[in-house]
Amino acid sequence: MNATPRQWLRQRARPHRHWLWLSAAGSLVAAGATIGVSAIIALAVHRALFTPEHLEVAVVLGGGLALIVLRYLAQGLRDLAGQRLAHEVKGALRSELLRRAREAGPARLATAATTGEWIERFQARGEDLTGYYVRYLPALQAVILIPVAILITVFWLDWLAGLLLLFAAPLIPAFMAIVGMGAEQIHRQQQAEQDRLAGHFLDRIRALDWLRRARAIEATQSEVVERSHHQRRLTMRTLRVAFLSSAVMEFFSAVAIGMVAIYIGFALFGALDYGPALELTLFTGLFILLLAPEYFLPLRQFAQSYHDRAGALAAAEALVPLTAPAEPLAAGADPAAAAPPAPAPAPAPVVDQATNDPAARSGPLLELEAVSLRYPGQDAPALPRTTLTIQPGESIAITGPSGAGKSTLLALCAGFLQPDTGRVQRHGDAQSFVWIGQQAHLFHGTLRENLQLARRETIPDAEMASALAQAGLPLQAAELPDGLETAISEQRRGLSGGQAQRVAIARGLLSGYRLWLLDEPTSALDAETEQALLDTLFDLAREHALTLVVATHHTAVQARCRRTLDLGGPPDA
Amino acid sequence: MHRHGLRDLRFLHAVFRQRQLWYWGAWALLALTWVAGIVLLALSGWFITATALAGAGLLATLDIYVPSGGIRTAAIARTLARYSERLVSHEAVLRSLADLRGRTFRGLAARPARWIRAYRSGDLQTRLTGDIDTLDAMPLRVVGPIVAAALSLLVTLVLASWLAPWPATALLLAAGILTLLVSLLLAWIGQRDSRQLVRARARERIALADYIGGLAELIAFHRAHDTEQTLARQNRDHARQLTRQESVGTLTEPVVQAVVAASSLLMLLLALHWYAHGQISAPVAVLLPLMTLGLGEVLGSLPGAWWRAGESLAAARRVRHVIAQGSTRTDHPEQPDPAAPPQLSTQALVTGFESRRPLSGPLDLAPAPGTPLIVTAPSGRGKSTLLDTLAGEQAPLGGSVRLGSTPLDALPVDARYARISYLPQTLHLPDTRIREILAPGAHDDHPDAALWDALHQVDLADRVGADADGLDARIGEGGQHLSGGQRQRLALAALILQDRPIVLLDEPFSGLDSATIQRILQRLQPWLDRRQCVLVTHAPDALPPHWERLELSRPVPASSTDSQALAARG
Repeated sequence: MNATPRQWLRQRARPHRHWLWLSAAGSLVAAGATIGVSAIIALAVHRALFTPEHLEVAVVLGGGLALIVLRYLAQGLRDLAGQRLAHEVKGALRSELLRRAREAGPARLATAATTGEWIERFQARGEDLTGYYVRYLPALQAVILIPVAILITVFWLDWLAGLLLLFAAPLIPAFMAIVGMGAEQIHRQQQAEQDRLAGHFLDRIRALDWLRRARAIEATQSEVVERSHHQRRLTMRTLRVAFLSSAVMEFFSAVAIGMVAIYIGFALFGALDYGPALELTLFTGLFILLLAPEYFLPLRQFAQSYHDRAGALAAAEALVPLTAPAEPLAAGADPAAAAPPAPAPAPAPVVDQATNDPAARSGPLLELEAVSLRYPGQDAPALPRTTLTIQPGESIAITGPSGAGKSTLLALCAGFLQPDTGRVQRHGDAQSFVWIGQQAHLFHGTLRENLQLARRETIPDAEMASALAQAGLPLQAAELPDGLETAISEQRRGLSGGQAQRVAIARGLLSGYRLWLLDEPTSALDAETEQALLDTLFDLAREHALTLVVATHHTAVQARCRRTLDLGGPPDA
Repeated sequence: MHRHGLRDLRFLHAVFRQRQLWYWGAWALLALTWVAGIVLLALSGWFITATALAGAGLLATLDIYVPSGGIRTAAIARTLARYSERLVSHEAVLRSLADLRGRTFRGLAARPARWIRAYRSGDLQTRLTGDIDTLDAMPLRVVGPIVAAALSLLVTLVLASWLAPWPATALLLAAGILTLLVSLLLAWIGQRDSRQLVRARARERIALADYIGGLAELIAFHRAHDTEQTLARQNRDHARQLTRQESVGTLTEPVVQAVVAASSLLMLLLALHWYAHGQISAPVAVLLPLMTLGLGEVLGSLPGAWWRAGESLAAARRVRHVIAQGSTRTDHPEQPDPAAPPQLSTQALVTGFESRRPLSGPLDLAPAPGTPLIVTAPSGRGKSTLLDTLAGEQAPLGGSVRLGSTPLDALPVDARYARISYLPQTLHLPDTRIREILAPGAHDDHPDAALWDALHQVDLADRVGADADGLDARIGEGGQHLSGGQRQRLALAALILQDRPIVLLDEPFSGLDSATIQRILQRLQPWLDRRQCVLVTHAPDALPPHWERLELSRPVPASSTDSQALAARG
């Protein structure tokens, strides 16, 4: 079971607790110094008015300045401690998010969030935690420590004024709780909308060419504005709650300070003739008056940080699933499949068999025995029970209608997913594989950098050129004006879909791996480009004795493969 | 750099100017909040001292009800002003930013496709979301606090000069100026770093998109672990930089507060001195330092204000960069005459990316309406480039493409697409409802029956009808709920509804068996009859034999005088 967002936020601070101790100490020292300064000022005024001969300007000035410096030093220390805490928590979280993404693998990650959403969570939701550690936790300490210190002082001076402050304080959290109850809910909605909005923008930016050709720019602009205004309304709902809770807080503190001032005034005036009012002097009265705002200041800061807390809780809710250890996808899975988590960097072989003996090498490359998989929350299995043995050097087409589990089966071969039932046996060469998806991912950078990815050691230019030529995209091609230094972007500037796949094939060749897993490698291509690409691919497979496992719904691919595994299901329209 | 900063400021001013009354109202309310806070504290001090004197018999008469009423009023006014200020300012800012998002999107759309492709979509997305969000600091945390602080300081200066000898006013003024200087120093430091931070954030986004988007490849090549480590390290560096910047901000606040507290202490001693010499009364002597103390809240907001300014300006520049000057123009020169639409033709057209390596040409094309021109060529011979050029999205290497007598590149983008429908080979459809794909934003022009009819023509009506949501079904991110061929045909259906006189089609029937192609062609015939059409395909045999055919071949080098056989009737 995952931690609740509240537990999660606290758990993440635990390893960095020492900063919390430091910030508590800062709060206490600052409170002490504040009380000291107030006493000095009140005493100075009292003496100036009633016993001017006892007023020592040097003491007031020296003592006062020293205490002021002490107070703000302590306060600065406290703030820095909170900041360091947030820094360390966020740093650890981000490292973990990156690691978890790798461990979860692309198939599982895709079920959790789109790329845009994941990045939004990594950057924006991670940043949303800042307020919790920088402001909320230190404010939580301060809201206990400082008012208690001041209350003790005030009670000692005048218990009636102390009672006044004491009674005013609990009213504040009570009202805050009432107002803040709906806040978390609204916050979550608002953040979900913000994530959706970011995804929406990304989608529309990617579809800009289409929108321009369809003359839908104006309609899309209105849509963008409309969505933004919708988000504004949601944001304002969150903010109104936050503002109201802090207004309640401010109101009570302002009224309470006013009441303390009026009580002290009436008592000094002699209009009150009961209890401690009779003993009140200008010194004690002024002292209490100076402390009253300081008493409410932490409460006010706490109320403001309550907003930070709500934001962090909502963010935590989005982040908890991303930091949850990878579990088997479905409950009640076959215990045989409950394999240990993937050891890095090799992607999760269930059973590894080192194959140095030639006998094993002639055996199968990859065996999937009665594997099946079901995604949580779905009735139909993502992959019904399937058995597949892959021999080295063969080519297998995995076919079937959409949703029959072609990609799931391929992800099992790659080790991106673990089966619920059955087992995956990986032999020797199957540890390393080339992966080419529907649209091969080309990384931001030059063609050279994209190819270099295939191997750790520097790949000579000649070898790159040869691999490109074999893949059917010679360096002389018009689309590669700068040769290996041609800049390639996400949108594959200048490269067509087929050419991008050819870059991926060249990259695969350079890696030297024999097992090639291809997920719908030609489905984004027109038939002619598809044929040309398949010519290249299958020629290379023969030449280099590659093992091809291709998930596809194209007959063109099927026709070239030695063997077809049909995952069945109703025929595709 | 300064000129840039000025332009960024002007840009921000233009963004927020539209609601300037809201902002001035909010800033006045903020000033009222602060002044009420100062009054509350100062009046309380005055009141207590006066009552203490009266209680001791040192003051003859004292009306205790008026000042106590003043205290209560200040308390309530402060709360109300604060609450209203926040509501008004946030509402105004969010409205301004929502509008700006629309404008930015439009500005982006007006950029040439080539310009956009040079950026990662994630980077552009940041500009449209995060960067625009960052701009809210300008009115909320930069200009607002500065204006309100100036107003509040002015009020206290007036009060001080009225109540006490001039050094009191001078002391307040000095405290204000000192705070301002400390804050400005910080702004300078902050500005320097925050530009880097905004850039670092965008870079990080690109790296993350590569990591998550390319995870399968990275794992396959055993690079996921390295990349993860590199990203984590970059993130740590970035965070360290951010923390350093924040520490400066964090520490400045206590420094400013300490300056204010020290000023109050000085004010107290001065006031007591003046009281001892009979220049001011005792209650006023207490009021003055408390008033100074009340300025803490006001001046304490300045460091943050300057600090935020740098970040906002940097984000403003990134947003401004997207909205190019003149990009919002919508004027169409003249509406095409529907009776006799201008014809698309090419004159000695040479296509390609580089003059050293032309892809095809020179071509003289003038497809006849009703007789589509089929273009075939071996792979990589620039069929798609030819269509891009005919659509005006790629500049010709030589010769020209004309619409009537107008060169295509002389037409604004929107006017071009008023006449040309283009179905390219690589499609990225927006993730929206089928209805929106077919007829974006114009539901009145196309009744559902027309949409179904268009779907029927491309043989998609059954597929869409099988979905419970029908026309309201969403096609998913990148159209993933449809197969590649279905996406292509859905786009074709949208083209039918666009009803433009010139149609450019790139492999519209890929993945279809020949019976289906024949069926679709038959249904499309009336639509094609009225249009000029250029169709690129690898399989021309499935298409009607009377259509014109053109086989592209690689052009001879530009140096040669030989001209090539261009078109051959099939």
